[in-house]
Amino acid sequence: MPLDAKIPIGPLAEKWDRHRFELKLVNPANKRKFEIIVVGTGLAGGSASASLAELGYSVKTFCIQDSPRRAHSIAAQGGINAAKNYTNEGDSIWRLFYDTVKGGDFRAREANVYRLAQISNNIIDQCVAQGVPFARDYGGLLANRSFGGAQVARTFYARGQTGQQLLLGAYSAMMRQVATGRVTMYPRREMLELVVINGQARGIVVRNLITGAIESHAADAVVLCTGGYSNVYFLSTNAMASNVSATYRAYQKGAYFANPCFTQIHPTCIPVHGANQSKLTLMSESLRNDGRVWVPKNAAEKRPAHQIPESERDYYLERKYPSFGNLAPRDVASRSAKEQCDSGRGVGETGLAVYLDFADAIKRDGRAVFEQKYSNLFQMYEKITGEDPYETPMMIYPAVHYTMGGLWVDYNLMSTIDGLFVLGEANFSDHGANRLGASALMQGLADGYFIVPYTIGGYLAGTTLPNVSIDHPAFKDYSAEAKNRVRKLLSIQGKRTVDDFHKQLGLVMWDYCGMARNNDGLKKAKEMIQELRDEFWQNVLVPGSENDFNQSLERVGRVADFLDFAELMVIDALDRQESCGGHFNEAYQTEDSEAKRDDENFCHASAWEFAGEGKTPILHKEPLVFENVELTQRSYK
Amino acid sequence: MNWFIHTIGSSIGKKLLMAITGLGFCGFLAVHLAGNLTIYGGKASFNSYSEHLHALEPLVTIAEWGLLTFAVVHVLTGAVLFYQNLKARPVRYSVNKSAGGRSLGSRTMPYTGILLLAFVIFHLINFHFADRTVTTIYAIVSGAFKHPAYVVVYIIAVAIAAVHVSHGFWSAFQTIGANHPKYMPLVRTIGTVFSLMVGIGFGAIPVYLFIFV
Amino acid sequence: MTKAINLTLKVWRQKGPEDKGRLETYDAKDISTNMSFLEMLDVINEQLTLAGKEPIAFDHDCREGICGMCGAVVNGRPHGPEKGTTLCQLHMRHFSDRDTIFIEPWRSRAFKIIKDLVVDRGALDRLIQAGGYISANTGGAPDANAIPVPQASAELAFDAAACIGCGACVAACPNASAMLFVGAKVSHLVLLPQGEPEAAQRATAMVREMDSLGFGNCSNERECEAECPKEISITNIARLNREYFKSRFFSNVK
Repeated sequence: MPLDAKIPIGPLAEKWDRHRFELKLVNPANKRKFEIIVVGTGLAGGSASASLAELGYSVKTFCIQDSPRRAHSIAAQGGINAAKNYTNEGDSIWRLFYDTVKGGDFRAREANVYRLAQISNNIIDQCVAQGVPFARDYGGLLANRSFGGAQVARTFYARGQTGQQLLLGAYSAMMRQVATGRVTMYPRREMLELVVINGQARGIVVRNLITGAIESHAADAVVLCTGGYSNVYFLSTNAMASNVSATYRAYQKGAYFANPCFTQIHPTCIPVHGANQSKLTLMSESLRNDGRVWVPKNAAEKRPAHQIPESERDYYLERKYPSFGNLAPRDVASRSAKEQCDSGRGVGETGLAVYLDFADAIKRDGRAVFEQKYSNLFQMYEKITGEDPYETPMMIYPAVHYTMGGLWVDYNLMSTIDGLFVLGEANFSDHGANRLGASALMQGLADGYFIVPYTIGGYLAGTTLPNVSIDHPAFKDYSAEAKNRVRKLLSIQGKRTVDDFHKQLGLVMWDYCGMARNNDGLKKAKEMIQELRDEFWQNVLVPGSENDFNQSLERVGRVADFLDFAELMVIDALDRQESCGGHFNEAYQTEDSEAKRDDENFCHASAWEFAGEGKTPILHKEPLVFENVELTQRSYK
Repeated sequence: MNWFIHTIGSSIGKKLLMAITGLGFCGFLAVHLAGNLTIYGGKASFNSYSEHLHALEPLVTIAEWGLLTFAVVHVLTGAVLFYQNLKARPVRYSVNKSAGGRSLGSRTMPYTGILLLAFVIFHLINFHFADRTVTTIYAIVSGAFKHPAYVVVYIIAVAIAAVHVSHGFWSAFQTIGANHPKYMPLVRTIGTVFSLMVGIGFGAIPVYLFIFV
Repeated sequence: MTKAINLTLKVWRQKGPEDKGRLETYDAKDISTNMSFLEMLDVINEQLTLAGKEPIAFDHDCREGICGMCGAVVNGRPHGPEKGTTLCQLHMRHFSDRDTIFIEPWRSRAFKIIKDLVVDRGALDRLIQAGGYISANTGGAPDANAIPVPQASAELAFDAAACIGCGACVAACPNASAMLFVGAKVSHLVLLPQGEPEAAQRATAMVREMDSLGFGNCSNERECEAECPKEISITNIARLNREYFKSRFFSNVK
């Protein structure tokens, strides 16, 4: 089956208007007869649930946490972009579109990105109307700040907690619909199966995480908003429960998975403190504006930072990238840090960290100015590490924090399974091979508030949907399958814990499919993953029982899927013989260690079709056609 | 009036009742203390204060009924709140530790309240309902405080009142919604000063009478 | 610098809502002081699992102090002894070798225990459902700059909106009252012009819901404010009281 992205014809700026006109509408009186399942309550899921219910659809919403307000969108710090041009710097929809396509290293779909830029303005309007307390100037108008990858200040923010405030806006809008009865909320549920009947997504099977009961839910369409898969690395900035299971299950049921190897590494995270570290914490990138990154020149250096004289420090970013220096882009800064640590010059107890030193800036600006800018970040750092960054240089190390890959979707955000829509980080559509800062929030809300409410209507109005209830044999089969899987995992009763396997998988992925990759390493990783998976299915130990609140059981299912999915990531990384954005294959780099794209052979999205357990997945290519922007080489010289 | 019953029956409504009646008692305490200070002027001054006060009839009776109503509302509402609050945490913690929010006053409100109720009854029987046909109020009061036991009981009682007021005063302002960063420090200071005044002002009288009269 | 400490844990174990529950004692050996409190529990759980016992159930997710999912009462203090800190951000360097640590779940009639340290905080969601929103359907919003909001109001609104819904205020309150949670939400929304139209309706609806959910009454003990990991002020409770009285006595809301 050739991939049809269903991109509307016509000039870029008119595509979305024309498409909305062409989409069939559902009669308002009929909307409540349609049941829609939304899985996940982050920015995409929360906003989609609210908007669909406002239109009159009957919505059932599921989340794994105890409350829909906890999804990991809440942790986004920086802000949300919009092409409002409130700062009069010449920003426009076109500029936001262009920056996003370029930032994504030309591996995103033009039409989707342009639509995202168009919608960005409506999002800000909507959020303000909901009571999101964005930062404001003295006159009471909205404030903006600048962010990586853009030369205009177009980022709206709510202190360092923009994600939280936007999510609480979407959550409150959704809770309002819960009160009206149009949204039914199912917290503490984990999706175990996607039910596909006659090629259409018609429901899900979930596990009630409190009672362990396997529950079936039928619907006319299913919307997955289940986020990204950074936790395949075990250590990432994602929340502990973030997982790939829902999207991987959809993949197994026929949805193509696109560009799984596109992962983003953030250069400024608090380093790992030891083997029992459970997750990583991001420090805002803005710190690099005033900090200087260095390591000791001598690998055997044992003195504390302040005793190391200037002449024995290597400010390697300034040395390697004289013009951009400490502000080199995320991927470049991340790879350089790893390079230094791999050469033995890393600092801290684990040797997996580099210094980010503010001494010069503090001397220059004074401590007061500094405190105003960064006090909350410094406090957070001190809370976690117990060290005062005013006295000793901060230690940082890169960490995985976002995944650009996801389920393949067409312009309507529908996957290759009819009636299965995928929004937010869970899909692949808008960020190409690299996401710019403050764009994730924009995409999640664009998909949920302003895209899926229309496109789902077009699907429902234009599709024959036979009556399906949970009495349909498919639900029985899928429930039995889910139950069997749970029982099988419980019955292994091996000798190693779930986390033990997860950590090992994470190390393999970090070492061989992390921020720098090479073909030998990837091949090795593939074998290691297969071996680990074999051992997992014979030696994993899950305590407790199935009909109970059992957190080990929750985790083991997720890790089982990560073990399968990791191999798909490696396969994709091996197939993409170029470097672009977050995918850096060491064999393809410029003289300045920049990612070197191969537009001739790889200007496409790789969409993988599940071919069956143990079989090599089938690759489908969606060619990326750039009619409106010129493909150029990113340069930070 | 259904809405009114609902309002004062709500959690915030009950607190409002406590705040209004509590502030009423604070006002009463201030007036009572001011009157009592005449005792330092000696027998004549105190008896004259008493006579002048009772010359204001029927206002005094009205005020007394008012105070009684306030007391009934304050005590009953307080009892309901105490019971409800106890029930809101059916299983207690094995370790309790304050983060610094609670004060001696806030922590002991229901208990100091009950003790004060007992004291007020005792006090009224002693002085208010005492037979004043053959003797003067000064004689009754100064007579009572010749007994060390009375002095001790009264000192303890006013200390309890001071503790109760130390939380009650500012808390009433908070409950009626009068908490503003600019003024709250002042309210809290006044509350502390007022509770000290209650404690020292009322407490000094039995001591004075015991020692000097 | 990293140190390793040994601790005695007294952890509340309860199989389910109907179980009576009890404190059980565990030895936590060689705990690195760089670990977070939850990582310390992870270590204990790994040991319990390998010993064939059931690990301690506890809620957690983001582990960076913003999702509000984690929380336990540590030595009598919700989220532990550090000010303005969630349990996941509490680090073991604040404990000393040979300390005994009591770990108990949030206790309130409104929060039923699900298992061990895990409680059902659905009551907080029901409070938001009752009125913790601005009724603005998607699509109808005017331009974001159409209504200026004084910077000071926006900042105050943010202070209140920073609530992470963890429930520590309820756990800390000697009366298990939810006034700080409700006060924060009512304040956040009423401080913004967008939230004004529904102010009267919201205050009454949220207080009514709060009273029906089994929370205790506020007695201004200020423990909520002292324990709130986002340090939300009780001036928000005073504002809630004002808004409630305005709604009850001066509006048409029944």
